[in-house]
Amino acid sequence: MLRRSVSLALAALGAACPGKEERSSAREAPRVQDSTFAGTTAPVQRLRSTRAGVPAAMLRSVTAAPGRGYDRVVFELAGDSAPGYRVEYAAGPVRSCGSGDVVSVAGSERLVIHLEPARAHDDQGNPSPRQRDLVPGLPAVREVKLVCDFEGQVEWVLGLPAKQPYRVTELAGSLLLDVKQGP
Amino acid sequence: MSKAAPALLVLFAACRPAPVAPCPAGQLVAQVAPPPVSRPSPFDSAFRAAGAEFHVPAELLEGLGWAETRWQMVQGTEEFPGRAPAFGVMALRGAALERGAALAGVPAEATRRDPVANIRAAAALLDLYAREAGIDRTRIEAWSAVVSRYSGIELPDARAAYARQVDRALARTAASPGLAPPAAPGACPPPPATGAPDYAPAAWRSSPNFDQRAADSTGVIHLVIIHTCESNYASCWSWLVNPVSQASAHYVVSEEGSEISQLVLERNRAWHIAALYDCTLNRRHDCRLNGVQSNHFTVGIEHAGFASQDSFPDAQLEASAALVCDVTRDRDIPRDWQHIVGHGQLQPANRTDPGPHWPWIAYVHRVQALCGEIVVDDSAQFNDTAVAGAAVPTTWAASDTTPDFYGGAYRWAPTQPDATDGAVFSFRVATAGLRTVEARWTSGSNRSPLAAYAVVTAAGDTAATTTVDQRTGGGSWHLLGTWTFPAGWNRVVLRRRAPSGAVVVADAVRVSATRPASSSGGAGASTSASNRPTP
Repeated sequence: MLRRSVSLALAALGAACPGKEERSSAREAPRVQDSTFAGTTAPVQRLRSTRAGVPAAMLRSVTAAPGRGYDRVVFELAGDSAPGYRVEYAAGPVRSCGSGDVVSVAGSERLVIHLEPARAHDDQGNPSPRQRDLVPGLPAVREVKLVCDFEGQVEWVLGLPAKQPYRVTELAGSLLLDVKQGP
Repeated sequence: MSKAAPALLVLFAACRPAPVAPCPAGQLVAQVAPPPVSRPSPFDSAFRAAGAEFHVPAELLEGLGWAETRWQMVQGTEEFPGRAPAFGVMALRGAALERGAALAGVPAEATRRDPVANIRAAAALLDLYAREAGIDRTRIEAWSAVVSRYSGIELPDARAAYARQVDRALARTAASPGLAPPAAPGACPPPPATGAPDYAPAAWRSSPNFDQRAADSTGVIHLVIIHTCESNYASCWSWLVNPVSQASAHYVVSEEGSEISQLVLERNRAWHIAALYDCTLNRRHDCRLNGVQSNHFTVGIEHAGFASQDSFPDAQLEASAALVCDVTRDRDIPRDWQHIVGHGQLQPANRTDPGPHWPWIAYVHRVQALCGEIVVDDSAQFNDTAVAGAAVPTTWAASDTTPDFYGGAYRWAPTQPDATDGAVFSFRVATAGLRTVEARWTSGSNRSPLAAYAVVTAAGDTAATTTVDQRTGGGSWHLLGTWTFPAGWNRVVLRRRAPSGAVVVADAVRVSATRPASSSGGAGASTSASNRPTP
């Protein structure tokens, strides 16, 4: 479980109410091809309560596709569930959260997205999504690999050829992670 | 044993007419049976109304709601390709939800969001299933086939486990729960699986997610790591045995301690903690292991539940403590707070499990008690006051400078020729008999080579005084001797009356019902059972 300050958790609780109205407008959002976003290379996060009994957000699919000026990785969630997230460039090796083994990905930079409370498997032990290592071969995103699905935490690492600014967009039922393509 | 009754009823209900032989007793269930659900559901009136409307026992609706969601309104949390999300208290899914909603005459959307509509739709569905099965609705056990159909579970043992869950809730209100797992006529339901390789009361559910421990000293099992799985029991172990998860633990303990699964042999390296070891997170214990991947030298125990829980069920803690007793006894691991530690303690960057409400002190005391030992610390905070107490005069200073003390610190005092203020460790013996007494200290070159421990019985007799060399051997237990103690509060007094120039360290005393299989020797306990008389 991710450590967090009380204030952050409270802020997250207050902001974590995607409704049906938002959902319809949110579905429009991906069509907006904003290639001029500034983005950041600093950590971005929105934490959520991990109160006992609150079901972990269930990951439905992860896809990567090019946009105009950026590559977009979409983390689609089951229903309206919204996990907390933290996105940051890894300073050191990225490790599989069970074995502790160092995970390698294509590219020289590693951008990590951590989801919590979340899971990428069902109650019967079946993975969701089944595809857990994508090699989309995009300009900014070379590989997208799952490195953790354990104890209510899900973590993916993006292998990038260069440290580029990124942005996170939270929609009802999905998280978008856009990484700017290089010049 | 009254608590065992509902679960046993479930197990054996199908066997009552068995013509040949009664079913064998389920060992684990008989030992650690889950208590029935004690709290009332928040949806009692809805269960009653829907039950009356659709001629379904309200208790059954309540039991299904408990088994499915623990009476929480869930919103599409169990989705994966090919399986529709579950909604509401009754966890209705897909076509079943649509059908129940239609039968109850409520919109599907309301069935997803509104608990009353959700429960009515479930009741209507059960009514249909009961009609199709042509069951006698007045007998609760006749509903078992309906319950199985409702669950949508295909694996027989998983069906049985589901029925047991429903039964637990039924036991709260119904006089005689009895939703037997489906069984062929005359056949016994499978007993709860036991016979795991390293812990016989556990079920063996082998996981491929392991590799070999290092062959050198870093691969010696040395710590037990306590986890919470952030999910229910079945979800936890079923995921950790899937090769896709790339994670595992040696053991998983169920919510109520009624079942434990062993997934990985203890001698193998399970994948439960990503962190590299850092002794500063563990009271500077065993800094030689700094930088070693923590899976190498640890046994991982998952617990169904959440780090954010306000408390843990007593029965779960008890089952877990019995397991940890077994692991520490087999692996010769001291039972203290730097050898039995939380995942979050060693991996604070991104874990907190088992969370702030894991009762660490009481838990370790329970492990000790189940292993037949009493440990007396120099500080009351770390003592089980029912059996252990210490009286250390203020002339003994507290310190945690030298690592590998028991509890939170240790006390030390300089030797003095005329000192009379010894550090007293008291322990209560319930029934008179032979006990093995050991002592622990932190070592250093300034320690006394002849630290004297007097053993004083409850009758006031000094049984012996033994000396140890405290310059070495810190952080492990050293034999003082074995004596017969009367019932009552007996004492071990560490004296500092000795020529000046050294210090003695009062850290802890351990008393065991039988002589420990291996007491770390070689460091200077200078006595055996042939103790010298008090000088």
